[in-house]
Amino acid sequence: MTFDRIMVRFGELSTKGRNKMDFVRLLATNIRKKLADAFDGITLETRYDHIYVVLGSNPPESVIAALQDISGINSLSLVKKTAKDIDVIAAAALEIVRERTAETFKVKAKRGDKTFPIISDDINRIVADEILANTTLTVDVKNPDLIIGIEVREEGAYLFLDTFKGAGGYPLGSGGKVMMMISGGIDSPVASYLLMKRGMIVECIHFASPPYTSEGVIEKVRDLLLSLTHYQTTIRLHIVPFTKIQEAIFDHVDESYAVTVMRRMMYRISAKLAVKKRCQAIATGESVGQVASQTLKSMRVINEVTSLPVLRPLITYDKSEIIKIARLIKTYEISIRPFEDCCTIFRPRHPKTKPNFQATLEMEKGIDFEALIIEALENAEMTLISRQNAEVIAR
Amino acid sequence: MIYLDNAATTKPDRELLDVFTKIESEFFANPQSAHRAGLSAERYLVKARDMIADALHLDNHRVVFLSSATEANNLAIKGYALKHQNRGKHIIASNIEHPSVLEAFYQLRDHFGFEITILNVNRQGQIRLDDLRHALKATTILVSIMALNNEIGSLNPISEIAEIVHSASKAVLHVDTTQAIGKIVLPFGDIDLFVISGHKINGLKGSGALLVKKPIDLLPLLSGGNQEYGLRSSTVSVALAYTLALAVKKITKDLPAKVAHIAQLNSYLRSSLSLDEEVVINSPEKASPYIFNCSLKSKKASVVVEALSNEDIMISSSSACHAKAQKTSYVLKALGRDEALSANALRISFDNGSTIDEVATFLARLDEIIKRIRS
Repeated sequence: MTFDRIMVRFGELSTKGRNKMDFVRLLATNIRKKLADAFDGITLETRYDHIYVVLGSNPPESVIAALQDISGINSLSLVKKTAKDIDVIAAAALEIVRERTAETFKVKAKRGDKTFPIISDDINRIVADEILANTTLTVDVKNPDLIIGIEVREEGAYLFLDTFKGAGGYPLGSGGKVMMMISGGIDSPVASYLLMKRGMIVECIHFASPPYTSEGVIEKVRDLLLSLTHYQTTIRLHIVPFTKIQEAIFDHVDESYAVTVMRRMMYRISAKLAVKKRCQAIATGESVGQVASQTLKSMRVINEVTSLPVLRPLITYDKSEIIKIARLIKTYEISIRPFEDCCTIFRPRHPKTKPNFQATLEMEKGIDFEALIIEALENAEMTLISRQNAEVIAR
Repeated sequence: MIYLDNAATTKPDRELLDVFTKIESEFFANPQSAHRAGLSAERYLVKARDMIADALHLDNHRVVFLSSATEANNLAIKGYALKHQNRGKHIIASNIEHPSVLEAFYQLRDHFGFEITILNVNRQGQIRLDDLRHALKATTILVSIMALNNEIGSLNPISEIAEIVHSASKAVLHVDTTQAIGKIVLPFGDIDLFVISGHKINGLKGSGALLVKKPIDLLPLLSGGNQEYGLRSSTVSVALAYTLALAVKKITKDLPAKVAHIAQLNSYLRSSLSLDEEVVINSPEKASPYIFNCSLKSKKASVVVEALSNEDIMISSSSACHAKAQKTSYVLKALGRDEALSANALRISFDNGSTIDEVATFLARLDEIIKRIRS
């Protein structure tokens, strides 16, 4: 194999101006963390425009696959680094072309280092002549079988053939931290994934109501988050005991308002925990109109309990679009495991789709919710979900 | 832990685990092998077959060792039906058979063109003998009726059924005896095909047997080295076979005394729960004492099972929430229970080691839980 590195190209970072290097360094740290788990002897070369992953003896396909899950990467190419000398570049181009079977080609050079004496057009010509003279390939500029990419930079020249798509978005952590409400359904893992992709670190809160919900749900949430460790290597999960609050709602609140009040309680607890854990927002998998509590009118009444921003990445998504992403990130099969969660128990026959704000406040008057919320938070348990932890448990 | 889910599986007998380890480490040779090690392994296999025949008073059955009662039911039904389809393609079962029987029937109907008759049971969970008489015809080759139902414990009159099947038709009688071995005395000599599951009788999971009356022949489901009289290819586990035989021997010993003990527990449970307004008892009066089934009127069974589990008491709910929708018990529906009751059943099933204190604790916790949980 003549390729020795992977060129990592950034996405929207290019628009970041003076902060750009901070983002690049964060991305490099994320890459280092992720690759250290699975590979030995990999080094990184961090430059202003690209990060180069030096492969060592690692299989390029696996490294590329691992990199494709990291947010903030626009695209990837396997590259060969050569000296900045046109003869060396031409010889290297010939070498990588000979490893492929193809009939037509095109050379596409980019001269990033303007001190290099030969302009892009001439690099194209010289390299093409070398290939035409030594192979049976012909040039096709419109629809070539192979495109030979060449980038000349200060430290050397890079040659590549294929470009792989990255996850896009921003480097994880560049967008701050959010407290995600996760139930075990299909939506919240997808919402988490989208937030991670956008650079936000996701910390999760799950409400457990034993015995109405089973131990199996918690297992399910852990497995869901374990799937998401592809995108964020360590995820914090807070499990909040919610039985007493749900029973209080059942006892004191009119059936049609039970869901509205329950959601308000979840928001209150999530917001409190979010502040404590230095999250700048809370997040949910809500999509407008999906169920009674997810009408705009409901959201308005529920949202009233907190002044924190509430991020709802799926707000305009159709269920089929959500499922498509869930399958892609391999959470769908876990989400459809049959367990009741805190949202499905005590489900009223006719929940309010347009709850009245005043009526909701009246309903809540009967109960000392503040004390129950404090108690729930005091008894919350935190676990770290990561590949390493999962292996320890499996052993 | 109070474990009252013995119809699902039982705790393996400690002695059997030791025997398994001993045989597997000292007599590991293939019993088919011609060398001395093989022969000594084979001796254990022969002894295992003899022990089962002795324990169940069989003198004319082959013992075919295999992996489970599900496999045994499949081999009995499909193996017999496919082998003898030239004699007729009509087969009969009841509507509360285990899925390993019913699904085998549906497969024979849907893929092999068999005509199937499914007999409805009465409110006691038994087939009506007249229905059976009427269903038998010249083309009937197999009747499959379970001895003891796994969800409600109802018992079928196997002697009478055998008499009818053998006098009024040429069909053979297969009895799913998975739950019955070691719990009731059956006329095994009159049954053509019946099954044993190791893990239901304090044996090991992965051990089972099909008992085949001579000279009945079956089409094997597995092709291969023709082990187990050519009916079940694959190298037999001598150790598992031997533990199965030991389990049968142990469980059938002093049967009347064991049943009397469990009957006490059952009657305590039944009399206590019959006073509970929340509970509807599903198991018929004349059912086996080992399995007790009741439904909850207003509480969710799955929640009650979870709450009991949190208190370290293991029972089973015949309901399983499937993708947030309730799955109801087809057995309870067959008894005429409505959708809600069929979806909210509790099954308590005993082991010979179960105690009256365990039942008392269970009843006390159940009472608290029913009072505590909202629905």
